[in-house]
Amino acid sequence: MRPSRHLACLLVLVPGLALAGEVIPPEVLTRVAASAPPDAPPPTQDHVLLEFTVTVKGRAGDIVVLESAGPLWDDAAREALSRWTFKPAVHEGTEVASRTRLSFAMPAVLLPPPTDAGLDDGGIDVIDAGSPEHPPHPSEVVEDNLDGGHADHVMSTVITERLTPKSRGASDLSIEIGKLALVPVQTGGERLKLAPGVLLTNEGGEGHPERIFMRGFDAREGQDLELTVDGVPVNDSGNLHGNGYADLNFIIPELIESLRVIEGPFDPRQGNYAVAGSADYELGLTKKGLTVKGSYGSFNTQRLVLLWSPESASSKTFGAVSLQRSDGFGQNRGAQSARAAAGYEGRLSETTSFRVQAIGYTAGFRSAGVVRDDDFRAGRLGFYDTYDPRQGGEAARASLSGELHYHLGGFTAHQQAAVIFRSSRVRENFTGFLNDVQLARQSPHGQRGDLIDRDSEALTLSARGWGKLRRSVFGRSQELELGYFARYDSVAGQQQRVLAGADVNTPYAKDYDLSSRLSDIGLYGDLNLSFTPWLALRGGVRADLLTYLVNNACAVADVRRPSASHPPGDASCLSQRDFGQYREPTERTSAFGVAAMPRATLLVGPFKGVTVTGSFGDGVRSIDPQFVTENKETPFASVRAWEGGVMYAAKFFDDWLDVSARGVVFGTRVDKDLIFSEQEGRNVIGGSTSRLGALVQGRARGGFFDVQTHATFVRSQFDDTGLLVPYVPDLVVRGDGAVFHDLPWKLAGAPVRASAGVGVTYVGRRALPFGQRSDVIFVTDVNGELSWRFVTVGLSATNLFDARYRLSEFNFASDFRTTPPLPTLVPVRHFTAGAPRALMLTLAFNVGGAP
Amino acid sequence: MKRLALAVLFTGCLDTTGNALVSFTATASAAPDLGAVQGQPLSFTTPRGFDVTLTTARVWVGALYFSTVEPTTASGATEAPCVVPGVTTGEVRGGLEVDALDPTPQPFPVEGLGSDLPTRSASLWLTAGDVNASDERTVVLRVEGTASRAGTVWPFTASFRIGTNRVTPPRNPALPSSNPICEQRIVTPIGFDATLSQGATVQLFVDPRAFFASVNFATLEQVSTSPPLFRFRDETATADQADTALFNGLRANSGPYRLEVSR
Repeated sequence: MRPSRHLACLLVLVPGLALAGEVIPPEVLTRVAASAPPDAPPPTQDHVLLEFTVTVKGRAGDIVVLESAGPLWDDAAREALSRWTFKPAVHEGTEVASRTRLSFAMPAVLLPPPTDAGLDDGGIDVIDAGSPEHPPHPSEVVEDNLDGGHADHVMSTVITERLTPKSRGASDLSIEIGKLALVPVQTGGERLKLAPGVLLTNEGGEGHPERIFMRGFDAREGQDLELTVDGVPVNDSGNLHGNGYADLNFIIPELIESLRVIEGPFDPRQGNYAVAGSADYELGLTKKGLTVKGSYGSFNTQRLVLLWSPESASSKTFGAVSLQRSDGFGQNRGAQSARAAAGYEGRLSETTSFRVQAIGYTAGFRSAGVVRDDDFRAGRLGFYDTYDPRQGGEAARASLSGELHYHLGGFTAHQQAAVIFRSSRVRENFTGFLNDVQLARQSPHGQRGDLIDRDSEALTLSARGWGKLRRSVFGRSQELELGYFARYDSVAGQQQRVLAGADVNTPYAKDYDLSSRLSDIGLYGDLNLSFTPWLALRGGVRADLLTYLVNNACAVADVRRPSASHPPGDASCLSQRDFGQYREPTERTSAFGVAAMPRATLLVGPFKGVTVTGSFGDGVRSIDPQFVTENKETPFASVRAWEGGVMYAAKFFDDWLDVSARGVVFGTRVDKDLIFSEQEGRNVIGGSTSRLGALVQGRARGGFFDVQTHATFVRSQFDDTGLLVPYVPDLVVRGDGAVFHDLPWKLAGAPVRASAGVGVTYVGRRALPFGQRSDVIFVTDVNGELSWRFVTVGLSATNLFDARYRLSEFNFASDFRTTPPLPTLVPVRHFTAGAPRALMLTLAFNVGGAP
Repeated sequence: MKRLALAVLFTGCLDTTGNALVSFTATASAAPDLGAVQGQPLSFTTPRGFDVTLTTARVWVGALYFSTVEPTTASGATEAPCVVPGVTTGEVRGGLEVDALDPTPQPFPVEGLGSDLPTRSASLWLTAGDVNASDERTVVLRVEGTASRAGTVWPFTASFRIGTNRVTPPRNPALPSSNPICEQRIVTPIGFDATLSQGATVQLFVDPRAFFASVNFATLEQVSTSPPLFRFRDETATADQADTALFNGLRANSGPYRLEVSR
């Protein structure tokens, strides 16, 4: 190294405002000197001034050259800065992104003699970037509305790493995936298991959305959980499978940067479907360069992933494609899927940044469905077999979203708009030959089969925005945020019943044929009041107006006294009333309703690292369009929730060890809960239920490990009878861990990095109908990786111990004609099989990224 | 907090979703008040004044189903389907030819399954096959004996099937399934107010006297004079009063059948 050929650096000092006292600025942990480019022409000036973001991960992102010394010199400075590491800025105890500047000084020997005043040459002449005697100082910390300023450089915009939302209590979890990405998952939805009390099951097969249980709620495919990806809605309003049906399979798992899960309706930003809570996925790609990843494993599973993010861009600028296929375990579980996602982040001015994101997804899958326990025990059907190989489905999603973020002084504004196309088709048979009731007007028939073929197609326009004002009152920073959410859905859906037979795809009846136009406009106000450094009150009110216009093209399903001259026969959607009087087969229904939802959180932090919180809030779930009644107030399912908790966060050993933990006691009451109906193959509205429970969660991160565990116990009961709500787990324990370190020896002079991840799930015996309990679920997934230079080899094993377990269990009546000829009509145990052990070998190459 | 933890623990140990799945045994026999003796003929007088002596009375019970539906509402809808999903509290899906003159409990060949939801009614399936099949060869009733009144004696026999011989035309061409064959094969609703429990025994009592309550033996078809023999015709289309009355008696939901549950 020739010091004289290295660029010197200096962070520009910027005095903070009065409020900067709440901010701990970022610190440089490691610095890399920039090497002067060989054969480069002399620099055009004495420095390169870079502006960049210190991300919460401690890396420099979105590097912009403000003052150039020539392209080659600029590149050299930028390349060096991209390898610096920082301790992120901290605001009110939370690590935040900050925007700052750094000046690399040109080697004095290459500069022309100074002719006038400028930067002090003597001060910058050949300053080694790593010189401890010149600790760089952050120019500015910008968190939320906190501004800095400088006589020479006005900086007021956070460009990357949008603000981490203010905590809404101990049930508000901002989960950075980080090294826990080493824990193997099959789908993006599975990352939800990092949140306490979450169980995911899937009786529909790969490609079918996960059924989500959260803290005593059976949210089915998201019906009770508001799901968003970077703020873009995922729940399908008006989907026949369930209002709020949410398919997270479009997410490429490698793109998940973090999750914010709020278990309960405690934040005024939460909207429709936030009954059990909400989850927002934040996508991004921290691995720079081009990554090509190929995997092959059990059941002929193949996966190819391409990931790309430019070196100097933030994690929000990326492109990704994944292709996957699998024969699946057992019978009829093959699946194929393709995903694409792209994001770009840039800025329009000093005060305004923007992001655009496009996502595409399509999948086809087979599904094994349920197996009767008596058939399995009698050997009539195998554990992984299927009754009806026609089960399965297809799904597609395309979305385009854009957002603007503005920040100046004490005001921040945010605006997002999205257009989403979604289609889904699901074919399920829960009951075999049971529900085909003979109507008098129909031709005589036996049971023709209960395969339900349900499809839905939706176009969604959504927008959300907010403005936040921040002022110092009584020496404390106070915030007021006003925001809105607007959504319009045009949805068409049909449900048919398909004739039984191996290769038959003939519908014999139509249950539903609905076209719906749904609107949801919500407004909220949110106050963040800070009374003392250890006492804050956050909360507000949200109100949503929901409107329905439903066109039912199959409004008449039967007629008691049909026309003798024009009998309806076997038709499903009739155009006659009693005595054959004509009527149109369609019928329109419209309804509307307003829901007002107060929410508040009190945070008390009398001791360092400890915060005691208490929250309450109301939330709603809109109902399925088929339940809407003309001119009636739109009914909502309403939830009231409360919680009390303690959070602890601390760092030890010079920040080498980062520890956080929380304990929560919570309760909820829902006036119209969703209860699974095997006849409908989905959840239907039931009675009111209440929950009381507690959870503990902890995470520890160190230089070579990242471990998280949580346990949740909850009791869910019906209010009228006090009986347990079936199917929801009362005990869920989950552990995730990762270790990573360079091996003690090198290969061809380069270190070999070893990493491993493990995830363990334990679910207690779930309550089933008729006083029964399910089996325990205990599954372990592991993954190991070796990385050397640009190559990574990994081997993962899901269900490592090959436990034969029942992912879902039910008690209901079915008749799959395994013991003909008399039908069986009483409830018996059914299950869907959990996946056996699966091994997957992965080989990945990265070009252009940091090792 | 401690109290809450204890409460959670305590309630978690005790709580349930309610009710239970149960298995039980099922038997059938002659009604105990019949005074029947195994292997002996049964004599009685019908409301129409016929003195009847039965030497054979066998009924094929293909299955028993129990339901939460009250008998009054179950029978009210003329277009009620034969099988209503979601209301069944118990089932015995194994055929038994019940000797209705034998007071000894005759076990059904299969275990009964169900739940302890309140049972309000029962259905008795007189078939060994698909209840909707257009034809069915199983003999569901076999009776033999003699009837007499005012010095006239009618030695009789009957052997009933419920197949194409029992098809009833729809009452309205626009309602082609208004008289499905399954209706002929299912005796319902039989009042049965009970709660099944694990290990219980469901007893079906058959009273063959009720089969003949409305039968006018004088309308029977004579098929032989030496020895004299009269026969109940096994079809609906050409039935005389006696034929129809016996078939209706077989399918009557009150009178011939009674169910009890014992632990």
